[in-house]
Amino acid sequence: MSKGKKIGLVFSILVIAGGLFYLGLGQFGKNLVYFFTPSEVIGFNQDYYGKKIRVGGMVVQGSMQVVPNTLKISFRLTDGAATIPVDFEGIPPDLFKEGKGAVVEGFWDTQKRFHSNLIMAKHSEDYMPIEMKQAGIQFPKKDLLKTLQQ
Amino acid sequence: MFIEIGHFAVILALVLSVVGIVSPVLGLKTNRPDWVRIGRQAVTLNFFLVSIGMAAMIYSFLTNDYSVRYVAATSNSKLPIFYKVAGLWGGHEGSLLLWVWILTAYSTLVVWMHWRTQPVTMPYLVSVQSLIMFGFLAMIVFLSNPFERIFPVPLDGKDLNPLLQDPAMVVHPPMLYLGYVGFSIPFAFAMAALFSGRLGEEWIKVTQRWTLFAWMALTTGILMGGYWAYYELGWGGYWGWDPVENASFMPWLVGTAFLHSVMVQEKRKMFKVWNLFLIIVTFSLSLIGTFLVRSGVLSSVHSFATDPGRGLYILVFLSVMLALGFGTLIVRSGKLKSQIELDSIISKESAFLFNNLFFLVAAATVFLVTLYPLLIETLKTAKVSVGPPYYNAVFMPVALGLLLMMGIGPSIAWRKASTDNLKKNFLLPTLIAVIATVAAWLIGIRTVFGMAGALTVSFVASTIFIDFAKISALWARRHEINYLLAFYQAFTNNQRRYAGIVTHIGVLVMVVGIIASTVYQVEKVVPMRIGDTMQLKEYTIRMVGLHEVSGANWTAQEGLFEVYKGEELLTVLRPQKRLYPVSQTPTTEAALYTIHLGHVFLTMPEVGSDSVTVRGLINPLILLVWIGGGIMALGVILNIFRPRMKTP
Repeated sequence: MSKGKKIGLVFSILVIAGGLFYLGLGQFGKNLVYFFTPSEVIGFNQDYYGKKIRVGGMVVQGSMQVVPNTLKISFRLTDGAATIPVDFEGIPPDLFKEGKGAVVEGFWDTQKRFHSNLIMAKHSEDYMPIEMKQAGIQFPKKDLLKTLQQ
Repeated sequence: MFIEIGHFAVILALVLSVVGIVSPVLGLKTNRPDWVRIGRQAVTLNFFLVSIGMAAMIYSFLTNDYSVRYVAATSNSKLPIFYKVAGLWGGHEGSLLLWVWILTAYSTLVVWMHWRTQPVTMPYLVSVQSLIMFGFLAMIVFLSNPFERIFPVPLDGKDLNPLLQDPAMVVHPPMLYLGYVGFSIPFAFAMAALFSGRLGEEWIKVTQRWTLFAWMALTTGILMGGYWAYYELGWGGYWGWDPVENASFMPWLVGTAFLHSVMVQEKRKMFKVWNLFLIIVTFSLSLIGTFLVRSGVLSSVHSFATDPGRGLYILVFLSVMLALGFGTLIVRSGKLKSQIELDSIISKESAFLFNNLFFLVAAATVFLVTLYPLLIETLKTAKVSVGPPYYNAVFMPVALGLLLMMGIGPSIAWRKASTDNLKKNFLLPTLIAVIATVAAWLIGIRTVFGMAGALTVSFVASTIFIDFAKISALWARRHEINYLLAFYQAFTNNQRRYAGIVTHIGVLVMVVGIIASTVYQVEKVVPMRIGDTMQLKEYTIRMVGLHEVSGANWTAQEGLFEVYKGEELLTVLRPQKRLYPVSQTPTTEAALYTIHLGHVFLTMPEVGSDSVTVRGLINPLILLVWIGGGIMALGVILNIFRPRMKTP
């Protein structure tokens, strides 16, 4: 293989690899979704309004309201320090419950409400035993947030 | 008592694995063959010892021994027996034990089969395999011990995660591990080749079938996981670019690149360093895959909580393997210079090169994007995630490139393809592909995905068909037999090549399934009451009932839905909303009706007091995804058990 051809081959490999990477990484920034806590969301300025973000927290006991015959659910999400209202439309996951952790994806509006159509609830093999829950023992807040962020 | 025997056996195996690392190499250096043999015995003995450990664990699961912490965490007295055994790999500790058990089984088998024919490399192989064994056994004994007892003993277990109580989940992890661990064999052979200095094509020829088997197991494992996600998680999709899915996909991508590029070394003695590089990367990614699933560092449906000590250990172990692999590769690289150069860009060698390029770019992208959130988290203390749309956008061009290579590669000539060779092989397929794309446009396929699919699939399919037709005609003429017999004889005469093509056909079938079920999927989510109907394309779904049912360890609300096509009642579907009381976990059980290789897919994600939420999907041709996977596996089986090549 002559030198010229070799350069041609290396060149074409670089062009293809570069092109694919460009295609890939060029779209990358737009597809990043950042994660926040309700305390951070409360403090948002208008730069963040309407941006797709994720918020993790605990669903406040007694805050869940299901609008009959629709897929709309509204509830409040808290991290202990701050609480935000969430309007959700869609199918919540099986593990979504009051008093449990959830991560919601959507956007924060100027009326200071969070709009979402995706909820993620974490599952793991480490359940909290029922006895503990019946006795009213909750996870310490720090641990809760840790499990949420995983 | 039995559990202590198992525990002790595994500790003994840890000690023996040190013997397995040291004694063969020492024996080789000091010229003492009996020391080398001791290494071999250590590997075989380890298989029995770890088997005892496995048996002890399974026994504890079957006898509901909740004094064992791991059993208490992943089992329950009401759990069906079937899932009690599967509970062994339902968590982190037991999965590791399964991993190392498969490793000892593989090692024993390899040593038994190749000891006589590979006397020079075998001692090194025993050392390398023992080192991997040591890494996992140390982790089991010191950090993630499934044999640990707890006190006070709980009255009952916390139950296996209900989502894992599924037949696919019983087979999926062992299958995946057969693949991951299977790659340790070509890895160990490669390392042995590097250590012993026998850097020819021997290690590739010896490991060829092992690699194929590992690849088949990994492919099947990934597809089973996809099927599980499809109906058990109830989201009606089989691939979501979840970090854990990516973790199994990365070794698959690089392993597939390896599978192809070794052929170049076998036939043309090129790509020597490259192949060693690929197998080191493949096995390292298998290790990363194993750890990512169980470490909980990435957010995923599969994450299991764990402590940071394990993470550090994993990192150290991984670094040792990488340093060992790449270190020896660099030291030996001087000996690996290939004398043969590429003759032309238009050649089979270069087709393989581009195949590898696409696979590697794909793997690198998945790797970067999967781990990017971790990096950002460490550097900027912000949490981010990357969604499936990104992966889909990046993967489409790569997949198309690979498909194109799949058409070109097998038919193009080695060294330098003449214009004649190109015309003969590709003119007709190109024409057919253009016609098929136009036809696709005419029948109303307008998406880029669909059109590109029609173009590439028809191109590859026609190259394969022409290949088969030509070879059958040739044999029929030469031996004066009919075409069918000629095809059979030609196929078995060069079964390695044609089995590979069978696997390619499987890929095509799968691609058709993926495109059809993605582009033409119809989804509706509506609240329904008894008597309500919902229209999904040509199917009418009528809710006719809702009642309670119960199983061994669950209770459920079960909906009754009649599925009509026009006036004709096709079936009654029964999706369920289950509750597993032990863990207080609800699950959504999908109901499927198979029609024309596609599915009518119903779930009932919410059961309210007044109405239920019903999610209906039509997934056209989705079964082709798994049928294609089956054909791929069949191709590999035909390849592994091929008859010796006859000279015509």
